[in-house]
Parts: sequence; C-alpha cells; structure tokens
Amino acid sequence: MKSLYLIFALAVVPLFISSKEKHKYYVSVTEIEYVKKDNALQIISQIFIDDFEKLLRERFDESIILAPDNKPQLIERYMQRYLEDKLKFKVNGKAVNFKFIGKEYKDDITYCYLEIENISEIKSLSVTNKILFDVFPDQQNIVRLKLLNKNRSFLLLPDRDNCMLNFP
Amino acid sequence: MKIFKSYFFAFLFVSGSVFAQDEIKPERQPGHTNQNKFKQLYDEFSTPNMFRTASGAPGPAYYQQQADYKMDIELDDDNAKLYGQETITYTNNSPDQLKYLWVQLDQNMRAKDSKTPLIGTSGIGPATSSSGAVGSFLKEPFDGGFNIEYVKDTNGNDLPHMINRTMMRVELPSPMKSGDKFSFQIKWWYNINDHVKDGGRSGYEYFEENDNRIYVMAQFYPRMAVYNDVEGWQNSQFWGRDEFALPFGNFDVNITVPADHILDGTGFLVNREEVFTKDMMKRYEQAQKSYDEPVMIVTQAEAEKTEKTKSSSKKTWKLSAQMVRDFGFATSRKFLWDMMAVKIGDKDVMAVSLYSKEGNPLWEQWSTKTVASTLKSYSRMTFDYPYHKAISVHAPMGMEYPMICYNFGRPDKDGNYSDRIKYGMIGVIIHEVGHNFFPMIVNSDERQWTWMDEGLNTFVQYVAEQDFGKWHPDALSPNDKTFPSRRGPAKNIVRYMGGNQDFIAPIMTKGLNTYQFGSNAYSKPATGLNILRETIMGKDLFDYSFREYANRWMFKHPTPEDFFRTMEDASAIDLDWFWRGWFYTTDYTDIGIKAVKKFAVTAKPNKEGEALANRYNVDPNSLVYFVEEGADGYKEALKESTSIADLPTVKEYVMDNFTPEQQKAMKKAPKYFYEITYEKPGGLVMPIIVEYTYADGSKERETFPVQIWRYNDKEVSRAVATEKEIVAITLDPDLETADVDTSNNAWPREVKESDFDKFKNKAKN
Repeated sequence: MKSLYLIFALAVVPLFISSKEKHKYYVSVTEIEYVKKDNALQIISQIFIDDFEKLLRERFDESIILAPDNKPQLIERYMQRYLEDKLKFKVNGKAVNFKFIGKEYKDDITYCYLEIENISEIKSLSVTNKILFDVFPDQQNIVRLKLLNKNRSFLLLPDRDNCMLNFP
Repeated sequence: MKIFKSYFFAFLFVSGSVFAQDEIKPERQPGHTNQNKFKQLYDEFSTPNMFRTASGAPGPAYYQQQADYKMDIELDDDNAKLYGQETITYTNNSPDQLKYLWVQLDQNMRAKDSKTPLIGTSGIGPATSSSGAVGSFLKEPFDGGFNIEYVKDTNGNDLPHMINRTMMRVELPSPMKSGDKFSFQIKWWYNINDHVKDGGRSGYEYFEENDNRIYVMAQFYPRMAVYNDVEGWQNSQFWGRDEFALPFGNFDVNITVPADHILDGTGFLVNREEVFTKDMMKRYEQAQKSYDEPVMIVTQAEAEKTEKTKSSSKKTWKLSAQMVRDFGFATSRKFLWDMMAVKIGDKDVMAVSLYSKEGNPLWEQWSTKTVASTLKSYSRMTFDYPYHKAISVHAPMGMEYPMICYNFGRPDKDGNYSDRIKYGMIGVIIHEVGHNFFPMIVNSDERQWTWMDEGLNTFVQYVAEQDFGKWHPDALSPNDKTFPSRRGPAKNIVRYMGGNQDFIAPIMTKGLNTYQFGSNAYSKPATGLNILRETIMGKDLFDYSFREYANRWMFKHPTPEDFFRTMEDASAIDLDWFWRGWFYTTDYTDIGIKAVKKFAVTAKPNKEGEALANRYNVDPNSLVYFVEEGADGYKEALKESTSIADLPTVKEYVMDNFTPEQQKAMKKAPKYFYEITYEKPGGLVMPIIVEYTYADGSKERETFPVQIWRYNDKEVSRAVATEKEIVAITLDPDLETADVDTSNNAWPREVKESDFDKFKNKAKN
C-alpha cells in the first residue's frame, strides 16, 4: 500500500477552512491506476461535496442536496452526465469511454468510481479534466497517474486542462 | 533465567550500506554531527531569559504593552461606508525607549494599490466567460482602503506619519520612556466591502429582498501593532491570509447606526435602557435566568416586519470592554436575537445569537446552545471563560473576535438542510467561539504562527464537539452516535502527511508561506496534540500541562517555545523528539513488521548449538537451545512440546539457585519464542504499539516507548516469549500514530483489497 498511498500524494485541502473565509481553495483529485490483471484503468475522482453540489444545482436542478440517502439514482445520473462531459481519456491515441460504477460520500468529499475496461496494452494515456472549471475560475484539478510502475502528478488549470504520459 | 535470554539479545543491526552506491568504499567513514531524532532542541529554541523562562512561563521581566481606545463610529447604511474617530492611549511597559509607534491599517489590503493581488500567480486560457473577462481586465478594483483624514495629538497638533501599505508609522513628539503613556487621535473612513462577493473577514452581505445588508464588522479601525521582546515592532504586512497580532487594552466604543438596526459587539452594552424597547428589556431579564432554552429578544415576526421599511433616524449603541485585544460588531435591521445563560464556575455568562430569517430553522435551534456548550468544554480544558458573553452571528464565513464571531451554515430557501450543513454550522460555531480562548485570551501572534491559535483551537474543538454530541444527542442524526468530527483522529491526517512532499511545509512555517493551509495549520497540529493526549502522554498528564499553558499565558503573549516548554515542564515528559519531528519537519510515521522468526526451545543441541558450546568450552548439556523454524531439529524440538521450565538444565538451575518461595513467584513458563524485527521507513519516531493474536483467539497488547529507536532509526528487534502460540501480529491496531502505510503493519502480511475493488465489489452486491 505504500506506493498506493503515495499516489494519494497531494492531500486534499479540507472543504472549508473552518475559521476565515469558507472557500479558499478549489481542488479536485483524480487518481488513475492501470490494473494489469483486470486489463482496466481504475479511476477515482474526488470532488468536494459542496463544490459538486453547487455545480449540480446550477447545471441541473436547484433543489439537489448531496446526502447519502437522497435520490441516489437521479444524482448519479447527473454526476455521470457531467463527468462524461468534462473528463476525457485517450488510450494509445484513441478516445475511450468509461463506465460510471458509482459514488460515495466520505467526510467532505464525493468519491466517483470510474472504470475503462479492455485495455490490454498502454503506450500512451492522455487525460483532459475540466471538472468544475465552469463554476469556479480558481478551480485546480490534480491528476495522478499510476501506470506501469510510473507515478506522475499533474496540476490542470483552465488554460492547461490536458496531460499526457507516454511509454516508449 | 537471565542468562538464557542473553543469547537472544546478542544482536544489533548496524547498517554498513551508507556508501553502497560508491564503487570504492572509503577505509574510514567520515564523522557526523548529532542527527539523533532525540537530540534536544537547543539549536531551534532561543536561550531562555528574564522575559521568558526555560520552564515556558513568563519570566520576572515579562512585560506587555497596552493600547486603550475611545471611538465614535458611524455607519452610512445607504452608501455602505464607515466613518470613525478614535483616541488611542498607548502605554509603554517595555524597558525600551520608543521613538515612533506602528499602527495597523488592515483595510489597506483592499486599497486600489494593494499588492495582495500581485503575489498570486496567473495565466491566460484559450477562452473565458464575459464576466470573468470583465472582472480580470476591465473592472476598476474595489477601493476598500482606509482614508486617513488626520493623525493628531490630544492638543490638536498634527503628528507626522508615514503609511507603508497596511502599516502606519506615527512619529512621537518626544521618545516614550518606559512607563510613559501617549494619547493620539485618528479620523478615517472607508468603503465597506461585500464579503460574499469579494471575500474578507469583515464586510456586509447584501440581500436583494427589501434591499438590506447584514454588516459583520472587524479591522474597521486603525489598530496598534504589537511591540514585544521577541519581535520588537511586529513588522510583517497584512497580505490577507495571516491574521493578527494585537496588544490588550480597554475599549469604549459608541456606534451610530440606523434606528431600526439591532447591534451587538465586543463589550458590555452600557446604554441598554436607551436602545432596548420595554419588551426587549423584559425578555432580556428572562434570558438571564434561562439556562436550558434561549429566550428570543427579537422574534422572527418582529425582524420580518422591521426589514420591510427603513428608518431615517439614528441610534447610538455604547459598548465598553476591558482586557480585550480587538473589537468587532454586527448590525442589521434583519436580525433576530436570542440569548440564554450558562454557568461557568460560579459566574453566569450569556450565550447569544444574532441571525436573519435565512438562517432558520437551524439557527434558532442550535446556535445559542452550541455557544453555551462550547464555553463549558473550553473552560474545563483551559480556564473559566472570563468575559460576560459570547455571541454567534450568522454570516457566510467563519471568523472570530473577542466575545463575537461570524459563522456560516444556511438552509436552502425552503428551510431544508443536509447533515453536512448542520454539522458544519455546529462545528464552525464551536471553532469560532473557541477562538475566544486561543488567541483572544491566550494571545499568540497569528501573523507569525497560524498554528498556535488554529491548531490549539482545532484540538480543543474536537474535545468540545465530542462533548456537544454527548450533551445534545438530539442534535445528532439517527445514524450518528457521536459528533462526526473531521479533524482530530490520527487516521484523518494520513492523507495529508503521506502526500506529495513538494506541497507540504513544516508546521513551524509562517502561515503565508505554507501549502495546504488547512491541513498545515489546523489539522496537523490538532492531530499532534491529540496523539500526545491519547497515546503518548495520557489524558491526565496532557490535560494538566495544557491547562497550565493556558493559565500561564492567559491575557499574555506566548511564543511556540513557551508552549513546547510548558508541556514538558508540567508533565516531566521530554517531548523534544515529538516537537522536532511533528512541528519542525514534514516527516511522517511509517513503522512496519520486517520479519518474524519462530523458535522452539530444547535441551538437545543441534549442530549449531553443539558448535557454539564447544567453541566456548561449556558442557553442551548445561545450555538451553533455541532452534529456528526451518533449521535442523526444529520439528523435533517442537514435538517435545515442553515449556522452558521443564527442560532438565533449567530445572536444575532453578532448584540450585532459588528458594521455593522465589520459585513460586516466577513468571509462567513460556513455550513459544519469537524474534520480531520492526522496520521504520518513515522519518518520525513513534512508540511501537503491537497486538499479538494467539492461537486460541485471545489478544494481548504491548507498547514499546518511542526511545526504543534511539540507537537505530531504521530497524529494531525484540524477543517475545509466550505461553500460547502467536498466529498474528498487528502494529498500531487502533490507528493512533498516523502511520501513512499500514500495508506493512501485519504479520502474516495481509493482502488488502484496493479502495477501488472494495467499492466495486460493494456496488455489485
């Protein structure tokens, strides 16, 4: 687990600094790991609950409240729609789709679990991550790749929303 | 029995691989300085002196300056401007002569020429929204700086002064000697910022409905800077993040606002009869006797009626406060107001809330009760709350001032709210009310050391949240048995401390320059104190020492060393290793089980044993032999299944050397023998907490003090002898030490499911 924990690397900033202004930082973290035995890219996107809630309210439905037992199917549909729009992957130069497996809330954070199957070989991976850029101008998205014994972190901003890793 | 064990202890791993990457090994290793994790902090700490003692207490020459204020403030509600005139009386209690005074002009952080926007980095993207483009490239910046109209002495003569951004130097007509007092006057005004749109720790929130504002005001007046024995004049500008350093003093403040406003702030309300209606007076008297439920001083119906119209007349509220370091107030015609009494020691304190209808139903239910509960918890952990009231004001931020704080937590338009909103609101009220203790009373320098107030406060917040959950189970949601605290438990800091070192700074870093402000200055110090309390020192020793620190520095100005030293001084626990690792470095805990060797005991020598006996020329029949699993004769030795006491050689020795009474008092004879090697990939030293699981399912724990790492920072071994077979070993079973990698914490090594697989499997079922 050591290396696994290291890819959790840049710790997520708490939702609100509970003194001072409520919002100081807008950060999401997306971890992508290639699991050879399953031929799959496993993806966990971590987004602050209140940021995500604000987004879903503005985009879909003003009455949305993100809470464990609240309309899970409807909310997951919205989340899936949004992530499919803002999170794009290219494997070996070809666009691939992910499966939205589900989400859970832990502390302040929504964890979205996504999977891309049938990846038997990876020569390159490109990730475009525009999560929350449409609501927060200061949003930063961290992408962490753990592929074939290579660990890399990228900080994506609205003017630099794509990262790429090649395996020669 | 001692001699038999000596075979076991004949090991000491010395790592000879320091120069492994070099082709040629130098014949002699170079020397080194003391890099031991237990090295005392003499290099980091300043030398104790007459101002601050080695025990961590104020010394015999300790002094602090005093700043007293008399102010007349007027709010222009129509134009959102604030006008003020103040007389500051400054007392020089230092032994030094002062040629000039420094006054803080914090609002200048919002001046048009502020440099704060210039220290952020920025870039240009391929596209941006029109509003973003206007904001970045077209809009004039908000002009929120102070307009200083004059600085005069009490005779009306202008005093030369110079403004350096957020600080103003005022020249004294003649130097102040030790013990001198000097009074001077400042007149100013400024445009109040919209704190919801523009951010900030003070300002107004605008409500379109009925065109109203709620003002939560602070840093609204030129404030004296701190002069002391460690910094001289505090000379670090206000950039917007690092908070404040302020001397204590007395305040008399008259605030004129529209006559239909409700106002409360730091200090006693001196003219209550003038500003209260008869009904309000009656309700106030009831509230002073109500210890269980808040009494409404202004009801929602009354507030809703008031906010529909605007009075053109004015009212002046007069507040007077003693021994406070700052002053804040909140005012609006939208305010509901409730209060109740809470017993602290033998004194009644008023717990107070100001909120608008937008905060309900949450605020009428929980705000004032949370204030009361917080005062009780913090008073227990520190000292009896010395002020006469504590106010919680509803505003979308979280910020603290003496006796008054501004807190978020708002239901939606229909009054619905999630658990997250509710717990967030209760948590932030506990946090901000708690700031009355740190740093309003234990008055640390926030500009230099964010963690000294935020970390200590977040630690006590955790205790107070747990108290609140116990005292108000009806505030918890059905699924929660305790208050779901976010910060405090060691396991919650693992994500941060195990993270990317490029974005982590030691706690002992000036707040402005830290990465991940919340984790650095709030969570990590709070968690550290929690680990000290629950695992390293124990609650009794910790609580005594923490209380001692709070009492020593109540109404004074402590430094980090005063805290570190007091905690050791009052507990007789040398914690330099903890302060060094947890506060001065970004090291993390990672302790693991490297290897476990099993041994069987026998009187029959195997080849190795025989060779050893021959080498030392002892009778092979007089020795006890430990045969490692897998070695020759292990199975046979195990089959004999004797305990060590049944071996003939041991029996002989015991009978010859111990009286029957002594024999009876001996420990139960062990039968299973293990040598466990612990490794430490992490830089932090921590106690080794180990749990053995026996074959019959029973468990036993053993803790090796942190000093076990003093000779070898990489790995240590321990022999264990047990009556029952050990089938599993777990390190840190309750996750008390913030171990960032628990995959090496178990023997036999457990193969853990990844977080992803765990969720996927759960989702399938």
